[in-house]
Amino acid sequence: MSDAQPDLDVIQRWMQSVIMHPDGVAQGVASHAARQEIDVNPQDVDKFLTRSKTLTALERLQIYGSAYYARLLECLREEFPVLVHALGEQTFDAFAFAYLHEFPSRSYTLNRLGAAFPRFLAETRPEGEEETWPEFLIDLATLEWAFSEVFDGPGVEGEPLFDAAQLQAIPSEKWTEARLIPVPCLRLLTLRFPAHRYFSAVRRKEEVDPPELAETFLAITRREYVVRHYPLERTAFALLQQILAGRRIGQAISAVAESAEMDLELLALRLQEWFRNWTAEGFFRAVEY
Amino acid sequence: MTLPRLGHPNLGLGVGLRTVHFTHILNEQPEVDWFEIISENFMDSQGRPRHVLEQIAERYRVVMHGVSLSIGSTDPLDFEYLTKLKRLARHVNALWVSDHLCWTGVAGLNAHDLLPIPLNEATLAHVATRIRTVQDFLERPLVLENPSTYVGFAGSTMTEWEFLTRMTQATGCGLLLDVNNVYVSSVNHDFDPVEYIRNVPHRRVVQFHLAGHTDCGTHRIDTHDNHVIDPVWELYRLAHELTGGASTLLEWDARIPEFPVVHAEVLKARQYMTNCLPPTRPVSTLAPAVDGPPSIPHPLSFIIPDVA
Repeated sequence: MSDAQPDLDVIQRWMQSVIMHPDGVAQGVASHAARQEIDVNPQDVDKFLTRSKTLTALERLQIYGSAYYARLLECLREEFPVLVHALGEQTFDAFAFAYLHEFPSRSYTLNRLGAAFPRFLAETRPEGEEETWPEFLIDLATLEWAFSEVFDGPGVEGEPLFDAAQLQAIPSEKWTEARLIPVPCLRLLTLRFPAHRYFSAVRRKEEVDPPELAETFLAITRREYVVRHYPLERTAFALLQQILAGRRIGQAISAVAESAEMDLELLALRLQEWFRNWTAEGFFRAVEY
Repeated sequence: MTLPRLGHPNLGLGVGLRTVHFTHILNEQPEVDWFEIISENFMDSQGRPRHVLEQIAERYRVVMHGVSLSIGSTDPLDFEYLTKLKRLARHVNALWVSDHLCWTGVAGLNAHDLLPIPLNEATLAHVATRIRTVQDFLERPLVLENPSTYVGFAGSTMTEWEFLTRMTQATGCGLLLDVNNVYVSSVNHDFDPVEYIRNVPHRRVVQFHLAGHTDCGTHRIDTHDNHVIDPVWELYRLAHELTGGASTLLEWDARIPEFPVVHAEVLKARQYMTNCLPPTRPVSTLAPAVDGPPSIPHPLSFIIPDVA
């Protein structure tokens, strides 16, 4: 390298690849990515970074390298606290560290840092693994991320919601043509494990074992800025899916009746109960015809 | 001639708004002069954080402080970000918008750190051009903070105070003088913090920051996790005297104590304002030593969801 100082864009690409290197800044300086920008040996970094009375240039650079992973790991731990509980901090950090290397932040906000973490866990799940433990961890990560999205996403606080009186007032002849408009914070989630029970128990600081495999259907929403979740029966979940897809009530019921695991009389009874409960829980903002 | 503080009022003694204090502030309505918010925590929020901010903005004066503008980066400016920043500033009636003299990432990535730039003619021109673009877009002067830094560049040809002076002259922007950062950087770069404070453009100082930091033996890290140490208070006394006073804010971002403790910390500033009696206790340079997990420099801004 000549004594000429590199341009700002070169320094920045070099410095970023060095401090983001998972094996530390010395390895970072020696990496192919860094050498493409500035071809310098770790011991020669002081040609363009200065040392202090107490630290070499490389040691000073390591402050940024250490802080990069420490800061973002701390964020992910706060984003997925129950997953940290399930895995233990050390194991969680190992997954999170690999994730940060694979999916470095591209956003101005840390609030999106964990967005791809559930997908990363699913994609890096050991192949041929017979154990269901990884599936539970993926479910838990998916659940915690969904809670985060609903918590700070669009909501209906302060707006009138579709209520029991409006439900009663739908004329019977218009019932099948009616379209219930869901609140924007309503999310549906299918999990392989009842991860919500584990989540709630950990949040209550109870001793709890990971749950057994059991297909789980959840509705997640927000009322008064607090995220709430509701386990649903499979048929109820399927019906809500139809409603969220914009189907009219008649279309939605027909679609689920064909595949319902209950006889139609029972389904008819349950329908009333479901719509009553969902209305009471604020799943809908309006009805349209 | 430039008005002191760019014509902004001296808001008094404020506190950085943090999630853990939301409930206390809403319930107790403490007598705080003003709050500074982390812009990125609220610009996308459609949930409780935004709702709380709106209530606080109704009761208190609010200033916005960002960590992702990346004014020193060689990546293009992010106009989606700037659009949201401008919208939020209008929404909460922010008195001014600040960020840092730094870059946070390049090639589309964000390291979420306040990374330093070499201080020379080329980088001054680069930063000044971007500041002017941002100011034109936001339709208000930008206020930029001196960050704590841990590396220096052989390619730097001027001191940080000279760079800040020329940057403000070239762009008309204001300064957020972080007195703790001056101290931390002075230890890390072996310069005299008093010389720094004496040489920044005093009339451009719109706001002060105060915070605690961590003594790592060989260097200091700007951790915002403790009380302000006495040498920083003494620098604040000098800065207050030289500038004629400016809005003063305490940042506490890790191991955050109860709100009254944080508020009491910034109220100590009264003892260091011009014409006040000198402190009765001896000056100490002690900052908390490293203890437990690794010290993480600011910024770390994150909001934890409420789940029933």
